[in-house]
Amino acid sequence: MYGLPEQFSEPHHREWYGYKLEELTCQDLLQASVGWSTGYYLKSENYTDEWGVEWKVDPYETPYGVGHYTNIARNPLRNDDAKAMAFKAPDPHRPEIYDNVRRLVREYGDEYYIIGRIHCTIFESAWALRGLDTLMTDFYCDPDLTNHILDETYGYHKECAMHLARIGVDMIWLGDDMGAQDAMLIDPDLWREFFKGRMAEIIRSVKEIKPDIKVAYHSDGCIYDIIPDLIEIGLDVLNPIQTECMSPEILADKYGDKLCFFGGMAVQSTLPMGTHEDIENEYKRLSGSLGRNSGWICAPTHHVQLDTPMDNFFHMLKTIGCEYVEPVMAEGKP
Amino acid sequence: MDTILERIATAVENGKINKNIPPRIMPGEPGTDELTRQALENGISADDILTNGLILGMERIGVKFKVNKVFVPQVLMSAKAMAMGMRHLKAKFSESGGMKSPGTFIIGTVEGDLHDIGKNLVTMMVEGNGYKVIDLGVDVKADRFVDALRENPGAFVGMSALLTTTMPHMETVNRMLKEVDPNVKTFVGGAPVTADFAKQIKADYYTDGPQELVEILNSLTAC
Repeated sequence: MYGLPEQFSEPHHREWYGYKLEELTCQDLLQASVGWSTGYYLKSENYTDEWGVEWKVDPYETPYGVGHYTNIARNPLRNDDAKAMAFKAPDPHRPEIYDNVRRLVREYGDEYYIIGRIHCTIFESAWALRGLDTLMTDFYCDPDLTNHILDETYGYHKECAMHLARIGVDMIWLGDDMGAQDAMLIDPDLWREFFKGRMAEIIRSVKEIKPDIKVAYHSDGCIYDIIPDLIEIGLDVLNPIQTECMSPEILADKYGDKLCFFGGMAVQSTLPMGTHEDIENEYKRLSGSLGRNSGWICAPTHHVQLDTPMDNFFHMLKTIGCEYVEPVMAEGKP
Repeated sequence: MDTILERIATAVENGKINKNIPPRIMPGEPGTDELTRQALENGISADDILTNGLILGMERIGVKFKVNKVFVPQVLMSAKAMAMGMRHLKAKFSESGGMKSPGTFIIGTVEGDLHDIGKNLVTMMVEGNGYKVIDLGVDVKADRFVDALRENPGAFVGMSALLTTTMPHMETVNRMLKEVDPNVKTFVGGAPVTADFAKQIKADYYTDGPQELVEILNSLTAC
């Protein structure tokens, strides 16, 4: 359906699938990704990405069918400090990795707001290479090694971001999960030491190229501690605002005049487990908080997974004000 | 001058493994490596070092973690420091016929779920408080939880999940465990898991962090 491949629902990483689904679900923003995170959902069988990270495909079953995750099976730089110190990121200047973004801007740029997405910008790509638990102790045990790995992931993605800005996207969407459910994953001071300066430099670089570009940042979980820092380094948009982890009222009160909020419709609770009324109430709550000053891009807080009843998904669209239209069947095929 | 046991506890709490690692924490001072050896040389018993040094340090970091004063990396460092101290104690324990343990805790991430940072933290903290831990790893099918309980009668069982799509497996595991032993105490945890969910699937305890879980285990084994 919708021109998407059967198993893999994360579009526009390497293949061009068109934007049928986005059009039919009334989306205002269209996106395409570059960077290490395009290794997610890359193939339907186990594979190794160009950074050396090994992936496996894991199915999961819900009452609504069988879904798939791609999970990291092996971190190439785990338990090998010499290899880690010698690691070099791939070449970020290959023109072909920007083909889809260029086409997206060309074909849809007049009508839609275009997002160039570079998730797993510094931390998550480094943790894929080194392993989360190892990287977390590297901060303390071996700062030189940590800085080397982070320089490689940061350096690559900074170049990607600059290319996207030159191509002319409206927004760069960066991301690194820094939040657990009710606290930061790492000490905020550690974030300031290892990540703040690097993130600041990416944001500064893209705004230098395209001054009206907006920068969004994705982190799951609770990241209250670093929001003032993110604002200080030039962040415009915060995603995904998991209401299970941070209060939309507090965010709106404290940062509503400085940030646009992106997300909010909860994939960890309301969408998979809630009723139609819950969905309506959530939309009302978010409109009155995050959306108080029109600074809200309404969206689910992550991929809507197969534990969300389709009925709830369509009800969310209806609640937002989108009348979903079934795709026209051509020769018996959608 | 603090006693050597207090210095061991402080080293664990701060994640000081040895004199050189990590370089920026307590620079130049000895870590659990040197201190544990020194304590043994001074004739302090392995039990005493474990209970009043290493475990005390883990308890302190656990409490700090619970109130968000420290974060996951610091807990991992403390666990590393504790493990270094344990290396020196293990030889002594095997000479004296094993260390005393208040109980056994079986833990795993449920089927279909590969996330283990939370589970590993719980493992480290429970182990760090003297319990025997049987870590079944990730993507653990219900049968393996049941087999582990059969092999370790009287053990406690913890289940972890990070995904809303995998947490329903906890209900099956919990039911099967209760069929094997109606008195088994079960624990569930992980980002999407809530106290309501635990109640709904009839698991005995939900905790949102390792320290709380350790405190429940301590109260269950105290009586």
